Amino acid sequence: MPEAFAIAETEVVLARARAGDLDALENLYRTYEVPVYNLARRICRTVEDAEDVLQETFFEVCRSIPHYRGDGSLWGWVRTIAASKALMRLRRNKYRDAEELDEEFHQPQASRQDGGLRMDLEAALERLPETSRAVVWLHDVEGYTHEEIAGLMGKTVSFSKSQLARAHLRLRRWLGEETALA
Amino acid sequence: MTHLTLQQLVELREPGLEPGLADARAHLAACPLCQAEASRLDQRSARLRALPSLRPASSRWPVVRQGIMSERRRRRLRWMALAGTAMAASLALTVQLRRADRRTDRAELAIDSAKARSGQLERLIQSYNPDGRVTDGKTAFVASQLEDRIAQVDRQLEMAQLGGRDRRETEMLQLWRQRVGLLDALVDVHLTRASQVGF
Repeated sequence: MPEAFAIAETEVVLARARAGDLDALENLYRTYEVPVYNLARRICRTVEDAEDVLQETFFEVCRSIPHYRGDGSLWGWVRTIAASKALMRLRRNKYRDAEELDEEFHQPQASRQDGGLRMDLEAALERLPETSRAVVWLHDVEGYTHEEIAGLMGKTVSFSKSQLARAHLRLRRWLGEETALA
Repeated sequence: MTHLTLQQLVELREPGLEPGLADARAHLAACPLCQAEASRLDQRSARLRALPSLRPASSRWPVVRQGIMSERRRRRLRWMALAGTAMAASLALTVQLRRADRRTDRAELAIDSAKARSGQLERLIQSYNPDGRVTDGKTAFVASQLEDRIAQVDRQLEMAQLGGRDRRETEMLQLWRQRVGLLDALVDVHLTRASQVGF
C-alpha cells in the first residue's frame, strides 16, 4: 500500500488533481478507495454508512485538494477527512444511545457466559460499542494519538484513554484470553 | 500484590509518561504477570492491524465524479447569469444611446427580441434548477458542452461591442440568435432528461 501511495503522491498527479483534472482525481480515488472504506467500515455500523462515508470523503477531497499544502503525507490528510466523516456519521446516527446499558439486553446469554465465550477478533470488534470501536481502531490500527482522537471526537484525552482500556477489556473477555489480572 | 489495571497498561504504552505512572512502570518492570498482560495487549493490537482490508462492493467514483461535474456546472451557470446580466445592462445602455440619436432600425429591434428571448430561457433554466436534480453522465456532458459554447458566445458578444456600429449590429444580432439557439438546446436537454426520469 505505501508504494501505491507513493505513486499517487507524485507531484504530477497532485498538481493535476489540484487543477481539477478528473483523471488525476480518479487516480487518487482508486489509490485510497480501499483504505478509506476499510476505516469507515470499521468505525460505522453498516455497509451503507461506510459507503456514504467513502463518497463524502472523496467529495471533500476533490473539493479541498487545491488547499492541501503538502505539510504531511497525502494519505494522512485523506485519512483525517475520512475519520472525521465517519465520526460525524456516528454522532448523527446515534446508533446506540445507551450502548453501555443495552449490551446485556441484546446479548443476555453472551454476557452471562462471557467466561466461556469465544469469538473471533472480527466478531468481537464488531460487537464493541461504536465509540470504543472507533477509538481502538483509530489508536491501535491507524496510529492516531489520544490527543488526536480527542480532537477528532471533541472529547478529552482521558476519555480516549478510558475508551481504549474498556475496548481492550471487552476484547480480552470475548476472545477468551486467560488472565490472572482484574 | 496489586497488579496493574488495563487502563494503566494502556497508558504505559504511550510516549511521555505522566507523573503518577512512575510507580506503575516500576511495578511492570518487576511483575511477570503484568508483563504477560502487557504483551497480550500488544498482541491484540497487532492482530487488529493484521485484519484483512474490507472493500466496497462497488466503486463510488461515478457518483463522486457526477457530484464534481454538478458543482462545476453550478459555478458556470452562476457565471453565465452574471455575464448575461452585465451583457443586458450593456446592451440597454447601447440601445438608449441609439434611441437618443433617434436611430432605430430592424437589426436593433431584432437584437432586443433575441435578448428578451435569451432572458426568458435563462429564467426557465434557473427555475428548473438542474443542479438540484440527479443527472446522468450523458446529460451532464451535453449540458456542459452547451454551457461552454454559450460562454464562448458571451465572450464574442463582448468583443463585438467594440466593433464599428454597422458591423457591430450585424455581428451582435447573429451572436444573440446563436445564444438563443444554444439556450433553447440546453432547455431541451434538461426537459428531455426530466421527462425520461419522470420529474
